[in-house]
Amino acid sequence: MSGKLYLKNQIPAILVNLMGMLALALFLLASGNQFQTVMFIFMVWFIILTTYLSVVYYARKRYLNQLLDMTEQLEERYLMPEIMTIPEKADEQVFYQIMKMAEKSMLEKIGAIQNEQKEYKEYIEQWIHEVKTPITAMKLLCENNCSPFAREILAELENINQYTEQALYYARSKHTEKDYSVREIDLCDVVHSAIADNKYLLRQSNMTITIDDIKNRVYTDDKWVRFILNQIIGNAIKYRTEQPVLHFSTIKTNDRIVLFISDNGIGIPQSDLPRIFEKGFTGRNGRIKKDSTGIGLYLCKRLCDKLGIGLTAHSENKGTTVALSFQLNDFVTGVQG
Amino acid sequence: MKKILIVEDDFTIQVQLKTLLSGNGYEVFAVTDFSQTIQQIKAFVPHLVILDIKLPGNNGFEICSEIRAFSDIPIVFVTSSNTDMDELNSIMLGGDAFITKPYNTAILLAKIAALLKRAYPSPQTEFFTWNGVTLHLESSVIEYKEQKAELTKNELKILYYLFKNAGKICSRNDIIDFLWDNQLYVDDNALSVNVTRIRDKLNKIGFTDFIKTKHRQGYTL
Repeated sequence: MSGKLYLKNQIPAILVNLMGMLALALFLLASGNQFQTVMFIFMVWFIILTTYLSVVYYARKRYLNQLLDMTEQLEERYLMPEIMTIPEKADEQVFYQIMKMAEKSMLEKIGAIQNEQKEYKEYIEQWIHEVKTPITAMKLLCENNCSPFAREILAELENINQYTEQALYYARSKHTEKDYSVREIDLCDVVHSAIADNKYLLRQSNMTITIDDIKNRVYTDDKWVRFILNQIIGNAIKYRTEQPVLHFSTIKTNDRIVLFISDNGIGIPQSDLPRIFEKGFTGRNGRIKKDSTGIGLYLCKRLCDKLGIGLTAHSENKGTTVALSFQLNDFVTGVQG
Repeated sequence: MKKILIVEDDFTIQVQLKTLLSGNGYEVFAVTDFSQTIQQIKAFVPHLVILDIKLPGNNGFEICSEIRAFSDIPIVFVTSSNTDMDELNSIMLGGDAFITKPYNTAILLAKIAALLKRAYPSPQTEFFTWNGVTLHLESSVIEYKEQKAELTKNELKILYYLFKNAGKICSRNDIIDFLWDNQLYVDDNALSVNVTRIRDKLNKIGFTDFIKTKHRQGYTL
């Protein structure tokens, strides 16, 4: 509360007092009192008035500063009327009422938007599940009648499936609720199933795949990790060079298992590397390939953060290595024996 | 012959799944009247059931628990929704496998074969014979007139595919597809190298020209 403004607000009261003083002075002088007596009464009045004004000022200031502090500490500030005490002054109560009304309409609006978002997410999930039926039917049709033509359709179907999965995980990652379950999984199995998901695309691009002996077991959600691997394999296919190679390997250290996925593709420029996990960032490679969306790696990062997996990318001129590092905490190693 | 029952409401998938499974040596029956699923299962007496979750009338979970009331045949859940809840439900109700659409046919077939093998164990040892050459799957050995040669994993799988399709021409693409489905990521060059090695081994045990090359078509026994 600014002191100047407070004083300005008190001008009518001060003026009334001054007028009262003047009237009293004239009356006292007219009734034959001494000038000194009048001056004395004047002084006393003035002291009482200023004391009153400053005491009120500091008391108000303390109260209001408290309210301000409370509001600032609150995460959802629009909920302030819920925790503040109802003010006693008549005009303050009106303001309090206004705040209450504002809060209510705000809450209603938030509720409506949250509901809408939830419905939208549910619709997207349902749509994705529905679109998977015709994808499955097409896949079966092609695999039952395998010709070079069918192979090309199967490769495109894998692309379609990747895009629908991306939409599904995008819808899911927006929500704070837990959509995953952590259990013990074999890294080798996830790698093989991710390769199987991209079989026709990998075959079409003549990718040579080498897998080191992966025998590690980690605690994580296999569906999410499979999705992340699919995105990384998809990138390796998209940004490949002549005679593409994809290599999977693991390293086990004291407290973590790191899965490396390396390719010999066009790589990522050093200047782009720090930003590749940003939403919508496409960089140099995005300008070369027109179908970059800047969503895939962003989603990978989000999912990894939720699962507590470390995700890093490394590239020197040519080729990219993506590392997924799975924590092995004391509890997990204890269970493993 | 093992009997498989399909409970799937999408007509195209139903027909194609039937084609796929009968092509792999199973007797297949698909439920068409979903109000009579249980009666149809009881009438057909399958060795394994492939069950979709979203169905007209009773859903897959309900059908699963009804089946479990009178039988413990293997049940494979197939669904397009891959939420943890569904997976958990399917396990709780006694499902043996949970596969999400769009499924990899190789994985589906492998799961079915594994479940059938576990539920109905057959003691026979696995081997193939063609033109006097015997392929022992368990020991990964090829034998001709008492002479034996050890095979690598790749070589064994290539020979397995050729023996299984003995007499037919196997295209290079089909062989590579089969190897990939078995997690052996062999490319075109590596396939040629492997076939050459197999031929060398066969030469050593005294059978030349066992695998014939059909120009632009593939290999045949």
